[in-house]
Amino acid sequence: MHTRTITATLTALALSAVMATHAGEEIVVDGSTTVGPIAKAFAEYLMSQHPSLRISVSESGSGNGAKSLINGACQVATMSRPMKPQETLAAQVKGINPVAHIIAMDGLPIIVHPSNPLKGLTIEQARDIYFGRINNWQFLGGPNARIVRISRDTNSGTYECFMEMVMNKTRLANNVEYVGSNGAVRQRVMNTPAAIGYAGLGFVDATVKAVPVNGVMPTAATVLDNSYPLSRPLFMYTNGEPATGTFLHAFLTLCQTPKGKELIQAVGFVPLVEGGQQ
Amino acid sequence: MTPGTRFIERLFTAACYGALAVMVAALLLLLVPIFVKGMGALVFHGTVEYRRMRHELFDRGDGAQLAREQAQMQRAAQPMYAMLAEFEAALPTNPPAVRATQAAALRDLQQRLRVLLGPLPGEPQPALPRSQYGQTRWDRAQVKLHEVLYAEVWDYSNPDTMGQKMEVPRQEQFAGTALAPLFPFLQQHTRAILQPRLTCYWRFFTDASRDAHFFGGIKPELVGTLYLTLGAVLLAVPFGVLSAIYLVEFARDGLLVRVLRMCMNTLAGVPSIVFGLFGLACFINTMHVSPSKSVLAGSLTLALLILPTIIRAAEEALRAVPMTYREAAISLGATPWYAVISTVVPAALPGILTGVVISMGRAAGETAPIIFTAAVSVGQTLRIWDVLTQPTPVLSWNIYNVATEHEAVDEIRHVQFGMVLALVALVLLLNGAAIILRARMARALKG
Amino acid sequence: MHSINVTPSLLLSTRSRRRRRLTAALGRALLFGVTAVSAGAVILIIGFIVRDAAPFVRLCGVREFFCSTQWYPAGTPAAFGALAIFYGTALVTVSAALIAVPVGIAAAVCLSEMLPFGARQAVKPVVEILAAIPSVVYGFFALVVVAPLLQTHGKYLLAGLVVIVGIPLGGGVVLLTGTLLGRGAARRRGAPTWLLGGMAAVVAALLLAAIWQCLQVQVDSGTNALNVAMILAIMALPTIVSVAEDALQAVGRDLREGSYALGASRAQTTLHVVLPAAASGLIAAIILGVMRAVGETMVVWMASGNAAQIPAPWFNLMAPVRTLTATIAGDMGEADQVTGSARYHVLFFMALCLLLIALICNIVSELVIWRKHKALG
Repeated sequence: MHTRTITATLTALALSAVMATHAGEEIVVDGSTTVGPIAKAFAEYLMSQHPSLRISVSESGSGNGAKSLINGACQVATMSRPMKPQETLAAQVKGINPVAHIIAMDGLPIIVHPSNPLKGLTIEQARDIYFGRINNWQFLGGPNARIVRISRDTNSGTYECFMEMVMNKTRLANNVEYVGSNGAVRQRVMNTPAAIGYAGLGFVDATVKAVPVNGVMPTAATVLDNSYPLSRPLFMYTNGEPATGTFLHAFLTLCQTPKGKELIQAVGFVPLVEGGQQ
Repeated sequence: MTPGTRFIERLFTAACYGALAVMVAALLLLLVPIFVKGMGALVFHGTVEYRRMRHELFDRGDGAQLAREQAQMQRAAQPMYAMLAEFEAALPTNPPAVRATQAAALRDLQQRLRVLLGPLPGEPQPALPRSQYGQTRWDRAQVKLHEVLYAEVWDYSNPDTMGQKMEVPRQEQFAGTALAPLFPFLQQHTRAILQPRLTCYWRFFTDASRDAHFFGGIKPELVGTLYLTLGAVLLAVPFGVLSAIYLVEFARDGLLVRVLRMCMNTLAGVPSIVFGLFGLACFINTMHVSPSKSVLAGSLTLALLILPTIIRAAEEALRAVPMTYREAAISLGATPWYAVISTVVPAALPGILTGVVISMGRAAGETAPIIFTAAVSVGQTLRIWDVLTQPTPVLSWNIYNVATEHEAVDEIRHVQFGMVLALVALVLLLNGAAIILRARMARALKG
Repeated sequence: MHSINVTPSLLLSTRSRRRRRLTAALGRALLFGVTAVSAGAVILIIGFIVRDAAPFVRLCGVREFFCSTQWYPAGTPAAFGALAIFYGTALVTVSAALIAVPVGIAAAVCLSEMLPFGARQAVKPVVEILAAIPSVVYGFFALVVVAPLLQTHGKYLLAGLVVIVGIPLGGGVVLLTGTLLGRGAARRRGAPTWLLGGMAAVVAALLLAAIWQCLQVQVDSGTNALNVAMILAIMALPTIVSVAEDALQAVGRDLREGSYALGASRAQTTLHVVLPAAASGLIAAIILGVMRAVGETMVVWMASGNAAQIPAPWFNLMAPVRTLTATIAGDMGEADQVTGSARYHVLFFMALCLLLIALICNIVSELVIWRKHKALG
């Protein structure tokens, strides 16, 4: 009986020792689906450089990222919106000090099916469409087709940015379809001739048509100089500044290195220029 | 029989057989595409780029042979690259107006060629693996070849309908330039350049994915599913079997037992998403079994989900043991306890096992309960000591993830179908095992 | 139940007898404890859901939740009107049941009354496999295969569905009304062939009209209530078929033989003798199938379109809808519980509603079966 207890204790000790030695090489990233591709690309790159490093990336929405950081469940929260005051408050209550790192810029292109002759929208027109005042492409010079409105789910930072930048926090129409991720928005728009949607810049390719908003096309250049009206920074939050020399530090500063910028560009987002950080 | 009743009879029979046929057809419509396309993840025509990727990312394959093949690729593609260089050199000599459009057309063409064949000669190595290689699969290569040959143009001339898609041969864009012959050349020589060969990628199940499922396999997901399933079964079986033994062998019919039974029936009817919410509220937010999602929290939640299945199966198995077994044991001097342990449970074991195996299939396939308790979209293969604290990629959740959230959903259809096939195969194998077990049992009871 | 009472052996000493009795009692207590824990799990679940749902009632009350269709959990001010979501749940469930019940019961009749033993054994795995396929696979199929198909060939698919559902349903109507009316006619001698033919013609005309209507439908998007209803119907089929088949099998041979002996045909026997005798089991089958559809998450989340609206017109299956389960799955990510917001608790309130629906279904099905048992004595 005694020997068994001892063995059990020893095993537990050994296990916790193993866990302790591995703790420093484990990075858990949780949060936004928009920032997901960047986080995944960074993780892939760093892990191929340091085989002992383990990074897991969850894409469960910006709010979930904030929650995980506050609960101490992840080291990095990726967010496509800044933290809300009540989230910061909750973090402070739990003794967590969230520090924001802007890692890239993103546009919020408004996309339609490539068969749509639409030449451009103003913010007001986009608002009217999503508010339910404009229900047919006819009113925008298009053919007679009912508009199918696609939105990100309410649990995303992308949705909140859209609400803030386009909708002025007015409500979306009742018949807006909600989908769970940026990729799903693109898929729905790509398969639906009368659809309109919005997604992160990195998710927009030739299968859908991004339209100019207020006469400006969403591109890396227009997002960076802020002439495209729907642009936003993407964040990674950590608990305090990461110590230099740690993998966590390497992960967060990767976006400032040429390699990191190349990665950001490769997944379709806009890397920051030197000194361009707000 | 009057003609009227005969008519009724025929109609009735036809309707019933028709309904059965609809059910069988639904199953076939579901399973056939999954099997056919899912096999596409395992058996396909791999190009030389696939073999290069396999060699560089997974350190597999014959290096010397690969070098020969790459040399052949270079040789075969050389005239094409020469045309590109010639065109680029001639670009500055054109008048400025032409130059801009041609430069843009060239950039577009080069991008498409990069997608098809990998980085062009002399270009630096891109950072992401997905852009380091051309098309690794011949079926995808043909789609991409089509995009090189034809530009997609939308005709908006008819104001009454949505635009019509037109495919304009890219050759027309470059008519009269050095690039005009590139298109027929490429069309003829793609096979020689990419050298497709029938490839079996059985390691799909044992490789980790590289670059967010663009390359590699689904090992982390499979392992995560196994951990979760085994964890759930390990937690649920003792409770389930002991409860069944109590209910069948020791409980007396009464109000208490009726209440217990009603509770269990209710548990069986709870929607799976409610289990997920409960797991989040109880195991993670209240009991803090782990700081956030973990395999442990997921297994606990799944264990509750399969508990009624196990209890019911075990009860049935115990009830099926003939009364004579118990009577014989007791007449030989065994106490009721000893009779249960020595004769009844062993006799019921195959039946109990069947229930356990079926509930494993259920646990492996469930998604809703683990969204908030265990699943992440990208992660390493979990080591066994991580299960107490770490979340894991899981087959079921990752099917959802790569089919909707991934940034390049259409590029990795084969991976999605491969994952679906793996999950369906796992579940069907477990159910098949249960069916065989049951058949054996029936034979044993008969014989 | 199966416990056997034996008089303790007289050969044992009092002490060892007492010890033995004590261990037996202890063991029994232990087993009872384990069973109570297993059964208590459901109490625990209800408890936790109620605990986290209660703050919502305190924060927002339930009036808006049940009466308003304004669902803006992230808005400022937030609105938590779930009426449209309840309607969406009901719409997909009822239409799934409309597809699954006629097909399922007809298939069960075929399995139980028509197929020979060997063929039945061969078809049974089909039911088992349909039941075993994970819901995310159905969801994937709905999203990747059915949705594009619906978008391009939606009207033909709808027409096909009308045929599949209409033939057993229409056949049933013809047979029932035909035989009901025929009873009067039979007394005046002769089976009313013309009547049946007329009925069949009317039903066929109705079917054709419905098909014609379907072919006029304009499909905007492939992720809609119809897509989900079809897939949910396939998912509910195995439950309905297997439970209904058990119920039909349980009907005694004597009843069937008596009916045949009176000269009834198979259709008459099944419709007038077997189905009424198995009615309680059939109702239980339908309830269990409906429960499976109500509680399903992944399929509706992936393929229903998730628009919190009451479609216009109210029966428009081509409109996207939102269900309770999908709302919980989709909204939990942002429903930050660190602040204890109404947004977090409203999801638990929804879960509580789902639980209540499941509970009511359970109780009703048990009552139905219990009353049947009582009626049989």
